[in-house]
Amino acid sequence: MNIKLSYNWIKEYLETDATPQQVQKYLSLSGPSVEKITKVGNDYIFDVEITSNRIDTVSVIGFAREAAAILPRYDIKAKFKDLKVGEPTIPEKKLPLKIDDPKKLTRRLLGVVMFDVELGSSPLYIEERLQACDVRSLNNVIDITNYVMLETGHPTHVFDYDRVKTTELILRKAKSGEKLVTLDGKEMQLTENDVVIDDGTGRIVDLPGIMGTENSVVTNATRRIIFFIESNNPYVIRQTSMRLGLRSMAATINEKRPDPNLAKTAFLRGIELFEKISKAKVGSEIVDIYPKPLRPTQLKISLDFLNAKTGIKLSPQEIVNILESLGFGVKKTANIFTIEVPTFRVEDVSIPEDIVEEVARVYGYHNLPNVLPPPVYLQSPKEAEELFAIQTKIKYFLKNLGLREVLNYSMISKEMLDANDLGKVQQLRLKNSISEEISYMRRFLLPSLIKNIKDNEGKKDTLRFFEISKTYKPTESELPVEEYKLGIVTNTSFSDLKGIVDALLSELHISESQIQKDNHPLLIVDKQGKVTVGRDRLGEFGQLKTEYRLKNGVKSEVFLAIFDLAMLIKYAKALARYKPINVFASVLLDLTVEETESLNYQKILEIAKKSSKALSEIEFLDKFNNKVTLRLHFSLSNRNITEEEAKEELKDIQNNLSKY
Amino acid sequence: MQSISELMASAKSEIKKIKTLPELEGYEIEYLGRNGRINVVLEDIKNIPTEKRKEFGKSVNLAKTTIQELIKNKQKDLVSQEDKGQFIDITLPGRKYPKGSLHPVTTTIEEISKIFEKIGFIRMSYPEVEWEYYSFESLNMPIGHPARDDFETFFLDFAEDKKYGKMLLTPHTSSGQVREMLRVAKSEARGKQSPIRMINIAKCYRPNWDVTHTPMFHQFEGLCVDKNINITHLKGTIDYFAKKFFGEAREIRLRPHHFQFTEPSFEIDVSCGVCFGKGEINGKKCKVCKSGWLELAGSGLVHPNVLKSGGIDPEKYSGWAFGFGVERAMMMKEDLQLNDMRVLYNGDIRFLEQF
Repeated sequence: MNIKLSYNWIKEYLETDATPQQVQKYLSLSGPSVEKITKVGNDYIFDVEITSNRIDTVSVIGFAREAAAILPRYDIKAKFKDLKVGEPTIPEKKLPLKIDDPKKLTRRLLGVVMFDVELGSSPLYIEERLQACDVRSLNNVIDITNYVMLETGHPTHVFDYDRVKTTELILRKAKSGEKLVTLDGKEMQLTENDVVIDDGTGRIVDLPGIMGTENSVVTNATRRIIFFIESNNPYVIRQTSMRLGLRSMAATINEKRPDPNLAKTAFLRGIELFEKISKAKVGSEIVDIYPKPLRPTQLKISLDFLNAKTGIKLSPQEIVNILESLGFGVKKTANIFTIEVPTFRVEDVSIPEDIVEEVARVYGYHNLPNVLPPPVYLQSPKEAEELFAIQTKIKYFLKNLGLREVLNYSMISKEMLDANDLGKVQQLRLKNSISEEISYMRRFLLPSLIKNIKDNEGKKDTLRFFEISKTYKPTESELPVEEYKLGIVTNTSFSDLKGIVDALLSELHISESQIQKDNHPLLIVDKQGKVTVGRDRLGEFGQLKTEYRLKNGVKSEVFLAIFDLAMLIKYAKALARYKPINVFASVLLDLTVEETESLNYQKILEIAKKSSKALSEIEFLDKFNNKVTLRLHFSLSNRNITEEEAKEELKDIQNNLSKY
Repeated sequence: MQSISELMASAKSEIKKIKTLPELEGYEIEYLGRNGRINVVLEDIKNIPTEKRKEFGKSVNLAKTTIQELIKNKQKDLVSQEDKGQFIDITLPGRKYPKGSLHPVTTTIEEISKIFEKIGFIRMSYPEVEWEYYSFESLNMPIGHPARDDFETFFLDFAEDKKYGKMLLTPHTSSGQVREMLRVAKSEARGKQSPIRMINIAKCYRPNWDVTHTPMFHQFEGLCVDKNINITHLKGTIDYFAKKFFGEAREIRLRPHHFQFTEPSFEIDVSCGVCFGKGEINGKKCKVCKSGWLELAGSGLVHPNVLKSGGIDPEKYSGWAFGFGVERAMMMKEDLQLNDMRVLYNGDIRFLEQF
């Protein structure tokens, strides 16, 4: 979370001549990050990022304490002046006040009645400081509760004593379905996990630690108040405030476990300010329910451990100085430090590594050298290596063929599934998506690729894209199977797509692959095929059916190919097999064959190769109507072949072809 | 029989007519070839009285060298003429070749992998659809912990696993940390711990979609576990990476931060390449960075609880980890002024074709 703090205010607790810029620079290097400084009048406002473990610094005083420890490390004088508050005088004639926590739902409760409150606007310095910290000034009573929170770091609350009616505040769990109206007039429905304050009659008068309610809030008519602080269970605060969407500053602080001992400081400071500014008088006993007071903890750490984690040799005296400046108690015997962790740090500092952080950050990370880890040889799993190597190879190859790599979202919409009749295929659905467009984890790349064509129609005439990404196939009860697929899409022609497929297989030296008819439901029956090696399917390609083209809203024809990356890895070779260079002359003869249903190009090649041992190379020249023209190269490995011999070979091929 | 002077006269006049290198080649053969005119004249030597033969020979030789000289000069002349007057518009486009494009994120990922490969880091890949356990609990973020707020998460409509919790889309690559520790442990003989040097570059998902966020993005995670690993090793690695990736002049710094899965934790900044870390240019505030530095990544020493989740004894071993946003690193490196992050993943050809 971020908090805004006034530098003038900080300086009430910090004696220093540091410029605001120096504070920003050095605190950011060794402590809380000051993200921005804004000059307001004669003051500077720091915008500070408070990490969730350092809720002790979410205040003027907490920040001043850090600054006092850090600035001197950069040769800037700085001294922390802690807040001093005394116990108030309790009157003899006391107003009744009963506060109880029978189920022990909180760590600490503090309350007192104050009367003769002079409600009005706050002094200018309070108004200005609150405003600078982005808190709206309302009246001196409410302002004081916020002022104390910003100053000490503990949220506080105030009730109208008379509107509570019963003089009782009892903590209890809410009943399921019970309702309350917050001080800003919103109705909230509660569950039995929430904690509320009851006035003893069953009426809810507060949502403690998060927000007050309408029926007990201070109004212009208020003359008597209950000043109240609770240290509610941080987990409950968090759950309730998240569920109800009530993310008040009080809630965001309270859920991060502020020090219950700090609650007392905040309480006394509040009473002091009510007396001074609202002219109020203490009218009751101070109720303080604190069954298990938080005490400092102890931690042992060795010099060796500190040196091992920081990578340098620290002087024991320096370690002591740093820790003491942060408020830790330190005792050193031999090379072991016994550290007393102050209560405002016990939630954060519990293991030796936490002490390493404290010492190292204040010592200065910039004072540590840069060293590469000692070199080791590690065996990288073969599958991982091949996976990345082949991806790179394919990507560069397709790019060089003129295709454009696209990266689509892994999630697709219901509309995209329906447009491709994939709505019934099981796919993982996002439970809390933020947009219809990203509702399902895609099991197929096709819908995204078709959308790429659709979205780019009219922007360029020729569209040729590819994508290598994971698809997600759900399983019964395990994580989905994540498979890498290569998808290619064009709006050009079947021949262009087939050319890309052929070129890719050739680039990967997959020479034994076969093309077979396929029955992909999205592709035109006679314009699709699958690429196989033996029983393995490497992928499929074809033209999108008009039905789906229209359902997807695409104007031009769409040609698609999908490959399974694992299969390409299985059959790809880094180098082709070398064939000895034939030094003897070849005879080139052309052959025109009429294709039939049972005699396609692949079959013609197969028969030709089987029919002639002298056939060394086949070139595809042309196709016209059903006639394919090939140029056949005939050669022998031990002498020049004669034209007559070559013609004999050709005749054998023709004979065998004529049987089909 | 032709006199030498006649031969020379014709040689001199004919060479003037020659315009091309092939013509000159013909001329050379005509005069100096095996059956060329010089040799024909030389054959007359048998008809010359013996006492004059020497002089005759000399004059034939002189004629020969003179012709050779003529040829040499002519050749020089023609060669220098050959390439003249062949004007073409060299600014016209040449034959058109296809030019495709790689997605800039792909190019960036490849570069990052190579940089880490050189210092012995292996690249791994882990699930994008992950169990809550690996994304949170195993990383010292128990259920209900406020630190989980920093990692807003997409959940999937799927039955919860008794042991691993909800199924989700991993909001960070750190989910691979414990998986890698367990993988290494599995491949080792019992009781033996191999060092870990891993990077994991992958898609991550978070429910934010606006000008500066896309619900899918990429991170890269570095993990190093070994004996005696300390903060200086993390600094050294990040410094090495920053200098290789962004440029030798760049510096890095660590600032304190908090992550549940590292202790201590740091935020990593790299010095700005525009103002060279000064935060200002000619007295004006640099528009690119925050006072000379750019936030780059989160990092820290691996929390002992995380090592324990991965079956590693934190008393004996220590490690560091970091996580970078690939898109952010890419934009910082190339000073790619993307005014809208969404253009990366909406497949617009007018964006893709620029790379």
